[in-house]
Amino acid sequence: MRTKAGIFCIFFLVLLFCPVASHAIPAFSRQYQTSCTTCHSDFPKLNDFGKAFKDAGFKFPTDNDSFLKIPAIMLGAPAQKELFPHSVWPGTIPGNLPVGLRMNTFFQKTSGNRGNFNALVPPGTVPPFIPKTDFSTGLFSIFTAGNFGGDIAFWVDDDISVGGQNANGGLGDGYLRFVNLGRVFRLPQNSLHLRVGHFELDLPFSQARSINISPYDIYTQANIGAVTPGFTQQNVNNLFSFAGGASGVEFSGGRSYGGYHYSIAIVNQNTSGASPGTNPFVPSPTGGANGGLGFSSDSNFKDLYGRVSYRFNLERDAASRNAVQAAGASGPRDHTYLNVGAFSFYGRSVQRFSGQDLTGMPVVLTAQEPFYRMGGDFSFNYRTFNIYGLFMYGHDTNQLPVDITGTPVPLPITGVIPPVGFIHGTPATFTGGFVQTDYLVLPWVMAIMRWDVVNSGEDRINGLSQNTSTPFNLPFRSTRNRFTPGVQFLIHANIKASFEYQFRPQQSVTVITNPITGLPVAIQPFRTNTAVTGLEWVF
Amino acid sequence: MKVKYLISLLAVLFVGTQLLLAGTITGKVSGAGAGTVIWVDDPAAKAEPPAKPFVMDQKGMLFVPHVLVVPVGSTVDFLNSDSVQHNVFWKGKTGHNLGTWPKGEKRSFKFDSPGVVSLFCNVHPEMSAYIIVASTSHYATTDANGEYTIQNVADGAHTVSVWHEGMKQQSKQVTVAGAIKADFTLGK
Repeated sequence: MRTKAGIFCIFFLVLLFCPVASHAIPAFSRQYQTSCTTCHSDFPKLNDFGKAFKDAGFKFPTDNDSFLKIPAIMLGAPAQKELFPHSVWPGTIPGNLPVGLRMNTFFQKTSGNRGNFNALVPPGTVPPFIPKTDFSTGLFSIFTAGNFGGDIAFWVDDDISVGGQNANGGLGDGYLRFVNLGRVFRLPQNSLHLRVGHFELDLPFSQARSINISPYDIYTQANIGAVTPGFTQQNVNNLFSFAGGASGVEFSGGRSYGGYHYSIAIVNQNTSGASPGTNPFVPSPTGGANGGLGFSSDSNFKDLYGRVSYRFNLERDAASRNAVQAAGASGPRDHTYLNVGAFSFYGRSVQRFSGQDLTGMPVVLTAQEPFYRMGGDFSFNYRTFNIYGLFMYGHDTNQLPVDITGTPVPLPITGVIPPVGFIHGTPATFTGGFVQTDYLVLPWVMAIMRWDVVNSGEDRINGLSQNTSTPFNLPFRSTRNRFTPGVQFLIHANIKASFEYQFRPQQSVTVITNPITGLPVAIQPFRTNTAVTGLEWVF
Repeated sequence: MKVKYLISLLAVLFVGTQLLLAGTITGKVSGAGAGTVIWVDDPAAKAEPPAKPFVMDQKGMLFVPHVLVVPVGSTVDFLNSDSVQHNVFWKGKTGHNLGTWPKGEKRSFKFDSPGVVSLFCNVHPEMSAYIIVASTSHYATTDANGEYTIQNVADGAHTVSVWHEGMKQQSKQVTVAGAIKADFTLGK
């Protein structure tokens, strides 16, 4: 167990330093011969025009053709529409190959107490070595996006290598988006879009396209129930987090640069982290009896995600208020706005156990534990100052396995006492969120301050048993705060230097038994802080 | 009636004399492509700005034309022909920011000081243009061969200046007496 904890330490630190995906699209710069800053304030953060460009299906909101410096290639003359349904509906592909590449590299310095985790390693075992300073290769990614004419947009991004390792990455997003699908049903403009494929959920603030080096803690928060003996145990093992992508369909509408916005997604359920399932007798849609990609869901249930928000543009002039960008006295700029929203995710986490029925016959017992995540968010922007934040509450139903006498089976289930069913226990919950301020001091200098907070009593209890499933080893208390000041410089519009100091939560490697309660408690807390600087370039 | 004839005759004589005393500057500018701007600097001379304003358009995310030469005192209409918002500003002693205006509308500005004005749009950094405000109405741009001709320059000593985007501006003293030749070689 202690060895596992040591390995976990390394894994955790790697995760800590692992850069998150972020993208600006050089392909659009080539097509329109315009700078990245037309759409991004500090790539990949979108300004109001960039949001309108994305809303419109990766094209200019109006008169798109007049701005294209590389004309699209027609897949059928526009007049072919008159022949429909006796011809294929004409579309276009971008006139250039809309490919962008991205690379980043980092240098990190970790505080002197990083070696404290060596105490977790059993005597006689060589502890893992964590260097004080380190150069770290980040991501090399390819991404492509554009418009197929009409109102069909596409996006694909893929990490070709991560940390210098070949093919160690994977697909980020890959989807088709049918913009203004509502016109088929004579609905108002922008009231219904459809997205199909693999995508990041319509989060209030994107993780995949965040300007930060480190991810938001609340987005990476899984919900693992307390399993430490001596405490009330919970049979919750939900690996779902908002940081991951989802496969499915999404209906959305509205605009992200003013007014209402909504989205409803129906996506695959897989909270157990199980690999794609295959069965030699059941062909998957992508292959033969024993080939293909198999299935990625671990349940029949499809998860539901919904988001609704409203953005109040606060310009006094009505014409400016409704425009893509505000008409400032010294030129167009982002609106002064207040955006408020709410979001909710509902799923059913599945765990399967080998158990018995009441006659003693072996059966597979399935615990389907409904769970939800819900919260609210806000964003206020004034000129080049933006403050935004999110609060989230996570709740997992806890179905405890019981034996034939109705007594809860101690966790983890070892098979010594076979379960026969489940009873409801105390739900596993957590709360958390973040608040971040971005201030564009100069068009090429972004100052950032961020506060992350996660409150999970289960994580604290699991940490006391040095459980490797907790995101923080031996947390000192249930609430983990992280402060992350940063600054970023655009060397050019496509080259960025970033600096981030991660003032980490308190942790501990010393556990004693409370003489009064008899329960373990962590003592002697310390912080392992990290300074990370990175270079990122897209082309 | 006779007085009118007399005045007309005097006017013709005056203009004719001026034309006879006016010279022509020709030459070639090397080291730069077509579109190099050459103008005669003469602080004492009075430019004759046209009554009709010049137009600097913003179309297809470009300033059109990229280089505009105007005599001092001219008015330039800045037009936005795009369906996206633009802006026009320039830095320097005469720096201005003209703000934001929608498609089809324009803002006007009178350039009272000679010099080279670099125009920008503060939301589209790839957009730039130049307005060369000449102190006289005697200016020209080079053709594809780098050659130019400036006519009707009064005889006498003048300063001829040459400008091309990305090149170092040059000036040269010339004495005009009829047709003269002034060549330049520009460098970065």
